[in-house]
Amino acid sequence: MIITTNLSKKYNDIEVLSIDSLDIPKGQSFGLVGNNGAGKTTYFSLLLDLIKPSTGQIKNNNVLVHESEEWKPFTSAFIDESFLIGYLTAEEYFYFIGELRGQNKSDVDSLIAQFEDFFHGEILNQKKYLRDLSKGNQKKAGIVAALIGNPEVIILDEPFANLDPTTQIRLKAIIKDLAETKGTTVLISSHDLLHVTDVCERIVVLEKGKIIKDLKTSTETLRELEAHFSGAEAV
Amino acid sequence: MIKQFIRLEWKQFFRASYFQKGLAIKILLILAALYFAGIAIFMGIGLFFILKKAIPDVDPIVSVNNFLIYWFLFEMLIRYFMQQLPVMNVKPLMTIPIKRNTVIHYLLGKTTLSFFNFLSVFLFLPFSIVLLIQGYPILNVLLWFLSIICLTLSINYLNFLVNKSNAIFYVIAVVLFAAVGLEYYGIYAMSKPIGIAFNTLYNYPFLIVVPMALLVTLYYLNFKYIKRGFYLDDAVSKKVKEVNATDLSWMNRFGSIAPFLKNDMKLIWRNARPKQVMMMSFLFLFYGLIFYTQEAYEQMPAILAFASMFVTGGFLMTFGQLVPSWDSEYYKMLMSQNIPYRKYLESKWYLMVVAVAISFVLSTPYLYFGWKIFGMIAAGALFNIGLNSFITLFGGALNRVPVELNVKAKAFSNTNGFNPTQMLIALPKLLLPMGLFYIPYKLINFEAGLIVLAMSGILGIIFKGFFLRKIEQVYQTGKYKTVAAFGEKN
Repeated sequence: MIITTNLSKKYNDIEVLSIDSLDIPKGQSFGLVGNNGAGKTTYFSLLLDLIKPSTGQIKNNNVLVHESEEWKPFTSAFIDESFLIGYLTAEEYFYFIGELRGQNKSDVDSLIAQFEDFFHGEILNQKKYLRDLSKGNQKKAGIVAALIGNPEVIILDEPFANLDPTTQIRLKAIIKDLAETKGTTVLISSHDLLHVTDVCERIVVLEKGKIIKDLKTSTETLRELEAHFSGAEAV
Repeated sequence: MIKQFIRLEWKQFFRASYFQKGLAIKILLILAALYFAGIAIFMGIGLFFILKKAIPDVDPIVSVNNFLIYWFLFEMLIRYFMQQLPVMNVKPLMTIPIKRNTVIHYLLGKTTLSFFNFLSVFLFLPFSIVLLIQGYPILNVLLWFLSIICLTLSINYLNFLVNKSNAIFYVIAVVLFAAVGLEYYGIYAMSKPIGIAFNTLYNYPFLIVVPMALLVTLYYLNFKYIKRGFYLDDAVSKKVKEVNATDLSWMNRFGSIAPFLKNDMKLIWRNARPKQVMMMSFLFLFYGLIFYTQEAYEQMPAILAFASMFVTGGFLMTFGQLVPSWDSEYYKMLMSQNIPYRKYLESKWYLMVVAVAISFVLSTPYLYFGWKIFGMIAAGALFNIGLNSFITLFGGALNRVPVELNVKAKAFSNTNGFNPTQMLIALPKLLLPMGLFYIPYKLINFEAGLIVLAMSGILGIIFKGFFLRKIEQVYQTGKYKTVAAFGEKN
């Protein structure tokens, strides 16, 4: 589904990302972990064509991301709060995204109805603009908005950060369901090793812009990751 | 402690976004400040002699005292609109082990260095020096000057209290207009009793205790006010406004651009900055009054063509020049969403067209000035729709300054979305209608000028697709730069 070849990104001759080759097949739940500055958000930004690659390319479903816009209809993402329109209410925002993705009001309504317990009564009918919601609630709204319109690829940057424990657990169920039953390719990044090993079938570790581990999740994965990061920290 | 505060202040000043803006703006701002200071000093020196000449049988100091109240009221108004409140930067200091009182004293003390306080000094210091040279009693002049400074600072602190309440503002505005009106029509001279009070202040120097007491009281009130609000959930944080959701589904008839149009309506209604711009653009409607009423302009139809374009083009120019910037807060989302650029631009274009149409309807009272003037407004409106809109959108594409939506623009402190590119792109907007009208006017006649100006607009509408495609290309090529620039928070 997503094929990355010879991809690199440089800022003023400093290489922040360099991936020779990375294939993410359709329906995989893919996790990206790494310390701050490892290049996770850079990779996602390249995937969304928000920054220009210095070399190489990403093909999303055979569409060259930095040349065509054809990937947009089947790809959706939530990277940070700048993906929200602050002066809309959550409902208005969902309908807006729905309209962009060719969904009518009732399509959107029936989709967000499934997430009632995920919202925990704090998103819908609040008579509040998104900019006035707490960080965690903003994130909830952004994540659900990324699910509107049955996208085939969903990209979530740090989805677990800022969420309360209950919501984290619910979000894990949602992500698992997406990949397993709907065949959606889900890409997430996280600092939380436990969550990421719970959710993702495959985990890639980035360090200083390079892939240094590519693991198929098993019972050993969490321990391996913990050993890696505690070792990396000690040095 | 104070030393560290001052160091912070220094960094804040020199690292502020407006200081990092282009050199041109820096020079403009400095020139503006120098200009006002220069005028004040000049006035201060000249005041004595002008008054002596204008009202020879009254002592200049008495005349000054008589009109002092208007100066203070004027000052209050400018401050209300232009001076920033000091409370905003409190948040990071709240958890630091510094006595709350120290921070508040510092914040309040800092405001004495405001440009507006110096305006009074620049005006009255030279005046006082002239008085001394002319042989007025030293003690009286000196203490009078100090009283004026005390009153200026009192206004400084009063302004902060006033800024928190619209009611006080309206009271002061009404009092000012009423006083000027009453005085102008000779019904009641408000300046008399107050003038007497200021003269008494001059004649009995020990009365300086009164303005001093006023200053101390206002300072204390501010102190108390800030101290009470020195909690996150109080004055420091913004008020959460209840949503006023309006049903805009009737706009769905606009088809594929409807979602954007609906969004833009909400953008304008729910955010401080675009609202301010809309109010401003309303004022453009009255632009014609300045030009059509002056006989001097009657012989200069090129200027009139320019003014006519302004009458209907207010919203188009003020809102349009910041077109991608309005969406800067969530631009990344727009860029990764399923949005064709074309539709986005088209919806903005329609918004501007509707605004021009509304302005045109509102401008019908200009019929009073005759059909010629109204014909110019109509031709100007067509030019706005057909050409100016595209020039403005094109200029917007080159503008990569993020705009904070819910923060009002204030003079001197917020040059958000203002840069030299804007000024350059403004030139064709201003010169084109003048040229399009003037050349055929000179060569043929007045009607020919109108027709050419109107035709240019109609041609623009006919070639709309072509223009939008060109602008879209500019957007496409600048995409990464724009995303990066909008990502920077200032």
